[in-house]
Amino acid sequence: MSSTVTETAPAERAAGPAPARPLAARPAGSRTRWLWAAPPLAGLGLVFLYPLALVVRQSLTPDTGGPFAAYAEVFGSTAFREALWTTVWLAVAATAGCLVLGFVLALVIAFVPFPGARAVARFVDVFLSFPSFLITLALLFVYGTVGMANGMWTDLTGEPEGPFRFLATPWGVLLAEITYFTPFVMRPLLAAFSQLDTAQLEAASVLGARPGRIVRQVILPEALPALAAGGSLVLVLCLNEFGIVLFTGAKGVTTLPMLVYGKAILESDYPAACVAAVVNIAVSVGLFGLYRVVGKRAGA
Amino acid sequence: MSGIRFDSVSVAYHGTTVLDALDLTVEPGEVMALLGPSGSGKTTALRAVAGFVTPAAGRILIGGRDVTGLPPYRRGIGMVVQQYALFPHLRVQDNVEFGLRARKEPKAEIPARAAEALEMTGMAGYARRYPRELSGGQQQRVAIARALAIRPQVLLLDEPLSALDAQLRSGMLAELARLHRELPDVSMLYVTHDQVEALTLADRIAVMDRARLQDCGTPQQLYRAPRTEFTASFVGQANLLPVTVADTAGAALFDGRTLTVDTGTAAPGTTATLCVRPHLLALGAGPDALHGPNALHGRLGEVQWRGATHRLYVDVAGHRVAADLPELRETPTPGTEVTLHFAPRDAVLLAAGAGA
Amino acid sequence: MLVHSKAGRWAAWSLFLFLFLPLFALPLLVVVAASFATHWSGALPSGPTGANYGAAVRGESLRALTTSLVTALVSSLLALTAGTWAALAAQALRKGARRVMDALFVLPVAVPSVVVGLAVLVAFSRPPLLLNGTATIVVLAHTVLVTAFAYQSVSAALVRLDPAYEQAAASLGARPGHVLWRVKIPLLLPSLNAAAGLCFALSMGELSATMMLYPPDWMPLPVRIFAATDRGSLFTGSALAVVLMATTLLVLAAFSRIRTRASYR
Repeated sequence: MSSTVTETAPAERAAGPAPARPLAARPAGSRTRWLWAAPPLAGLGLVFLYPLALVVRQSLTPDTGGPFAAYAEVFGSTAFREALWTTVWLAVAATAGCLVLGFVLALVIAFVPFPGARAVARFVDVFLSFPSFLITLALLFVYGTVGMANGMWTDLTGEPEGPFRFLATPWGVLLAEITYFTPFVMRPLLAAFSQLDTAQLEAASVLGARPGRIVRQVILPEALPALAAGGSLVLVLCLNEFGIVLFTGAKGVTTLPMLVYGKAILESDYPAACVAAVVNIAVSVGLFGLYRVVGKRAGA
Repeated sequence: MSGIRFDSVSVAYHGTTVLDALDLTVEPGEVMALLGPSGSGKTTALRAVAGFVTPAAGRILIGGRDVTGLPPYRRGIGMVVQQYALFPHLRVQDNVEFGLRARKEPKAEIPARAAEALEMTGMAGYARRYPRELSGGQQQRVAIARALAIRPQVLLLDEPLSALDAQLRSGMLAELARLHRELPDVSMLYVTHDQVEALTLADRIAVMDRARLQDCGTPQQLYRAPRTEFTASFVGQANLLPVTVADTAGAALFDGRTLTVDTGTAAPGTTATLCVRPHLLALGAGPDALHGPNALHGRLGEVQWRGATHRLYVDVAGHRVAADLPELRETPTPGTEVTLHFAPRDAVLLAAGAGA
Repeated sequence: MLVHSKAGRWAAWSLFLFLFLPLFALPLLVVVAASFATHWSGALPSGPTGANYGAAVRGESLRALTTSLVTALVSSLLALTAGTWAALAAQALRKGARRVMDALFVLPVAVPSVVVGLAVLVAFSRPPLLLNGTATIVVLAHTVLVTAFAYQSVSAALVRLDPAYEQAAASLGARPGHVLWRVKIPLLLPSLNAAAGLCFALSMGELSATMMLYPPDWMPLPVRIFAATDRGSLFTGSALAVVLMATTLLVLAAFSRIRTRASYR
């Protein structure tokens, strides 16, 4: 609430002269409030904003050439263009997969309840507290060259090798990302579904609507904000995902975060790493801004 | 002894005036009810006294001291709100002691003062409980004890009973009346939309509507002699009929008939509104009724049985007139012609459009 | 209920199990199963052993676990303090200023963790603040990353907090500081506890930024798991992963237990 209001002089009354003073209902003026906000802002500036600024600066000051030499070099390399393309299509595909899968699973948990549905919902929460690379580790045992699926195949057919080879390809990363990020879509969806008035569903079914129609005309519109919010968050997280890609150990799959890591740590080419970082930030922050706007509008 | 004074207090939110130049004085030791529909500005007025809203203009005085610029914690007022706002993490005892500790009262006195406040509200036996372990009525008593513990000169009550069910509400109303008798020095500002609460508890009622003070007076004054149509219909029920003042001796014309009422200072020829309470109308009997004094003749529209009374709706020259009659042995049939009449002293003439 | 026929319900449930089990339940089970095995060349793992765990709770691995625990505890504590302070300060600001503060403090969520790691590395590898190669730089990066989450949860809790409590306290004569310590913070405790749990879990599993800047003598558990799997010791890696999950869950359960005890409603 705003605190300073210019006083329109009250009519002088018998109670004596009204002292001329600005009306401030709260003693904490705007200066005091900024004073309280200053320490955390200064801390954030020192450990986050200043380092980010340095990254941008370093991307513009390569060891050789003009200010945009590093950009020209990086944008010119096939590896970078491939990484950018891989990052974007993987993120988009993973997001689409998470949305479909998350919607179906949340739908069953919320509207076709079964004994243990609550436990499953709890499990989803627990799932969120594990690091992403565990999924890749697990997939190595399920679809890896020596693993459950290929092992089953060789046991059954007697062939020396199984057919599942996709783990070290982008498809393996896609599977892992869909698995890991689907709960991020399910959680806001379950929250939205719990707000949905069951009377609406009952009314719709009394009016003769079949389940498919109810899902399309009653549930989906209510779920759209949650889907939009969850989906954009997953998109950003997928763009930034590093652990899953690192653990597949696939040389064929390079995403922007992998490129940053590779250039900086493995090749010690900091300007190039910083360029990749700046591009990655631009893509992610742009999309995250969109997510915040969509989320605000949806009230999520 | 200190009262509250609103001195042309205006409050605006985002350019909308929610309280328009309120002038009102609550005398020391008085219970003033702010009565009005939602959005009438009554809660805003109370929150301005508490210091939670800043007036755009005007002053608020408590005990003669200008508190307009003071933060809430320096105003020394007690406040009780609809949802109790008891601190859920503190026991009843600690809730009641909260204000005393915050105001750095001498440590040795604090337990005794808290006990006294709990005693006063009948909650002494619940000091060790947490708020969630109490019923709604008990929570409200604790909230009152918490407000009284700091011995405020002014107690603000914001719809304190509206979260309670009907039975508890009447019990609490009696409790509040008893507290008022026991604490004759404390001024109370009581915000409510319920006329029964206002009529029961208040020494005076300020009727508010659309950000403005409409009327102010004792319950009897407002009920028997409302000054505006709004007051007439908001405090109690009222039949409002348009009349033309015939002369200063007490004659008014309605639907071509002359009615005898107190016309006061109204000038002949001006239009005015006649206010008659439904329970002050009587059903005329026999053929002479039509020619009796102050007769309203019309067709019976509807009869509702309400236990002790019958409510009749009569269409009188296009106006729907309600009459509450002691339970009738034989109810007239809807559609028949009936006559209602009233005593001259039971009707009030309002200046037309007053307060609208 | 959406589906009324028994057959329809069973169809929905089978679809659910068909999707849920292989995607979510199987991976975790597989990691646990592998942690007790020495070989996995058939449908099921073989060569049951406890030796993987023997290795996982000794020497270097044990050090990695304590490193992770210390890093996570310190960084979530710092993040909680900074995030709560910032959220409280932001709440007092005007709407426009609050938006700016919101945007700044959740920015670390949008910036890739690898980039946060790179940025911290670049910034603190030069004077005046030379932290490269110390444990501090790891803790610092984790703190930056999880503060955003602490800020978000505390902000959300503040929005939900009924202003009537603060106002009641103020009307009883409590100054803003008193209101903060005796009313707001106690009422926020459950949310602060939940935020601390979230920060702890995130920091325990943090790999991306850590990979960019961990010094050899401060290697958290996720890095150790990667090192193990990278050199082909998948079964040791699994045991380490199970230790990581179990530790995270244990600490989260402890947090949740405190929360239940202290919940007022």
